[in-house]
Amino acid sequence: MSAARHSMSETVLEASGVSMIFGGLTALNDVSLSLDEGRIVGLIGPNGAGKTTLFNCLTGLYTPSQGAVRLHGRDLPHDPAKVTAAGIARTFQNIRLFPNMTVQENVLVGRHIRMRQGPLASLFHGPVFRRGEAAARQKSTELLEFVGLSGLDDEVARNLPYGDQRRLEIARALATEPDVLLLDEPTAGMNPQETEAARQLIFRIRDTGVSVVVIEHDTKFIFGLCDTVSVLVQGEVLVEGSPETVRDDPRVIEAYLGKPREEVEASISEAAAAGSVVDHRDAGTGEEDA
Amino acid sequence: MTKLTGFLPPALARPFAALGGLLFLVAAMLPWATFLLNDGAFPDKATLQFFDAPFELTGYRWHLLLFGALVLIATFVPTPGKARVLRAFGWGGLAISVISAIFIAGKGGGIGAITSADGNFALGPIVGALGGIALILSAGAMPLPDIPQWPTKIFARMGPRGRGLAWLILLVAFAAVLYLVSLTLTAGGIGGAAFPYAGPIFLAFLGFAGGLVGALHGMGVTGWIARLSEEYRAFSIIVLLLCAFALPFTDAGSQYWMQVAATIGVYAATAIGLNIVVGLAGLLDLGYVAFLGIGAFVAANLSGAAASTVGWNVPFPVAALISAAVAGAFGAVVGSPTLRVRGDYLAIVTLAFGEIFYRTALNNIGDLTGGSNAIPGIPAIEMFGKPFNEPITFLGTDLPSGVLYYFLIVLVVAAVMAVFANLKNSRIGRAWIAIREDEDAARAMGIATGRAKILAFMCGATLAGLAGAIFAHKLGSASADSFKFLESVTLLAAVILGGMGTIPGAVLGASLLFVLPEKLREFEDYRLLVFGLALVFIMRFRPQGLVPDRVRRAEFAGETAEGKPIEEVQEQAVLEQELELEREHEAPSGPKEAGR
Repeated sequence: MSAARHSMSETVLEASGVSMIFGGLTALNDVSLSLDEGRIVGLIGPNGAGKTTLFNCLTGLYTPSQGAVRLHGRDLPHDPAKVTAAGIARTFQNIRLFPNMTVQENVLVGRHIRMRQGPLASLFHGPVFRRGEAAARQKSTELLEFVGLSGLDDEVARNLPYGDQRRLEIARALATEPDVLLLDEPTAGMNPQETEAARQLIFRIRDTGVSVVVIEHDTKFIFGLCDTVSVLVQGEVLVEGSPETVRDDPRVIEAYLGKPREEVEASISEAAAAGSVVDHRDAGTGEEDA
Repeated sequence: MTKLTGFLPPALARPFAALGGLLFLVAAMLPWATFLLNDGAFPDKATLQFFDAPFELTGYRWHLLLFGALVLIATFVPTPGKARVLRAFGWGGLAISVISAIFIAGKGGGIGAITSADGNFALGPIVGALGGIALILSAGAMPLPDIPQWPTKIFARMGPRGRGLAWLILLVAFAAVLYLVSLTLTAGGIGGAAFPYAGPIFLAFLGFAGGLVGALHGMGVTGWIARLSEEYRAFSIIVLLLCAFALPFTDAGSQYWMQVAATIGVYAATAIGLNIVVGLAGLLDLGYVAFLGIGAFVAANLSGAAASTVGWNVPFPVAALISAAVAGAFGAVVGSPTLRVRGDYLAIVTLAFGEIFYRTALNNIGDLTGGSNAIPGIPAIEMFGKPFNEPITFLGTDLPSGVLYYFLIVLVVAAVMAVFANLKNSRIGRAWIAIREDEDAARAMGIATGRAKILAFMCGATLAGLAGAIFAHKLGSASADSFKFLESVTLLAAVILGGMGTIPGAVLGASLLFVLPEKLREFEDYRLLVFGLALVFIMRFRPQGLVPDRVRRAEFAGETAEGKPIEEVQEQAVLEQELELEREHEAPSGPKEAGR
């Protein structure tokens, strides 16, 4: 729908031929992904497909066994801290705030990389320090307003309701001034209203010039949000394209929902032997985790 | 403690409170021991009938009388935070009674000493304890009120006169704190063979002080003062500093207590340093006292003591800075393994470092520590032509020797506090706390966690090194035996006991842990047992520490805003999500199944 608007944009983040092998397990096999400036890319796939593993490769937490990740055409450093400095920020599948810090302090930690205060300045709290601190707090207030957490600055993060914790995690990630924002299941556990609010928030983030990659299980959410969608199945990109293309692709339906019942019953022994049936109900609890 | 809630029907709450108050009053007037103990009369004339000497009611019996009166007032006059106040008085009175009872019974050779013997009755301890229990039960039957939040902004709105009023309130509050500190320090007198009752009197006094402070806390007074002092920060700091300097002019101004206070100061400064490593950065360090030792030995070797092998005599300020720098450098060395190990493994690495230091010092490797002979004869600090171990006259008052060390250590502790507070409220401090909370998330926020952790170790070690330099001069010797594993554990206990991550917590913890052994001397072999028991009790009933910071209070409250434990909320969210998935999954196959 918005493809025309962004047709002139350049590639910000590019993963090419990324493979990730843990011992004998191939979590990712030759995965390529490219993100254009100001776009939203969705990443869907059954549990255990390697979505979060790919995220970890994109943020420097893992070093890919093969392949390369490039940000603005430069190879990504193999250190999460440096990746963040280079302009990639993320949220986590299972919220990982600093639970005992206040809302404002959480965002201020996000500012860490953009602040210039050495140990001596921190020791003596001179005028330069205080200016920097005031600016950071100002920025934090703006970000909290942006995500809709105004006035909760001094609340301890762990006391926030679930949805607000997700939003705070996004504010914290935005505080690092990223070019690319990676959201790992941002609407997990949200009701329809909250999900819609999250969708609007991601659009607003995109409108500020940040490119976004989203992992989600909620396919309806993804199809209504993203410019392009990649389907990851068993560590490989199955389909990639516009939401419409992906939605109608029979392979996606099969990967997500299983084969039609008659077919399954016909080939039940075959499928069991090959181990290729992907069943959500069994995989539901054992989510892949960083 | 929660089990006591609702034990009594609410209708009986007030009668029981009144009963508790009355029992306190009665207990204070009853004799507490049936006969004279072998070591002499138990202090405060515990064997006397009240009516024998009504005007000589002193010590813990007077405290109990005071509690009784206050309880009766709180029962019948509308009191903010009533249940909390009554509960605090109840536990305080119970502590006073039980501690005295155990001691009298122990020294007197049995229960007879506190009940009846030779036709005499001494029911004071039992009546007092019953009063305490009645109060605790009564408080449990009342709804537990929130701690009242008294306004602090009204003074600012009142203009200059309001500020004067606020200053006056703070002045009175801090003077009261000074008085309480002086009383606590001298309570029971100097322990040991000369005066065998110091321990129980001191512990009973702690019960009194704890009850009083607890009641004030329950009424919201301490919180109010804390917020007020935050509002008038500069004024509060100056007054607190003046109060600290005024301590030698109180009853605590004897040579002995000044020495104790200076020792507490050294350990408090060290504990604040440790608080950076443990409280802020969350790195468990079991060998921290080694940095105090490094500071002490460096200062000893630069002091011109006969046993020092360096033969380089520098003025104390220079020596102190060098000590701090050397300790800081070792801090970085010890901190470097933290890049690779976390949690338990880090604790073991630091434990090993502490032990390496102790063994090295004991065996005089490198010929810098004097081995088992230690480095004796370290001269006193001399600044402005004044040796620090001599008495001085100030403002027409003769102050005992050692008071100059006390003044110096007050300044150093103040400086260390400023360092801690400034670091905590900075980019670096936030990075440390973030690492403590979730190291991976901290990395994902761009924090170079390795560098930050080494910096934490360096800062902590530097402060300990500085404290060590004073420690060596004050003691006049530096010996490996002062830096054993037990000292590291005690320092760690001080930080955890006082409240992790806070300054008053570390100071209070250090004070308690280094005063208690001094006061409990006559318990001899049981001293460590009592000490350990006290720790267990505090950790059981107040795991967040005596003075927790805002955040840890929330952590131990363990509830979300909606009143559900956080894990439960998350679990529920995951569950809902799974259900939704299942619904989506079943939707297409459902009709087919129906068709079969």
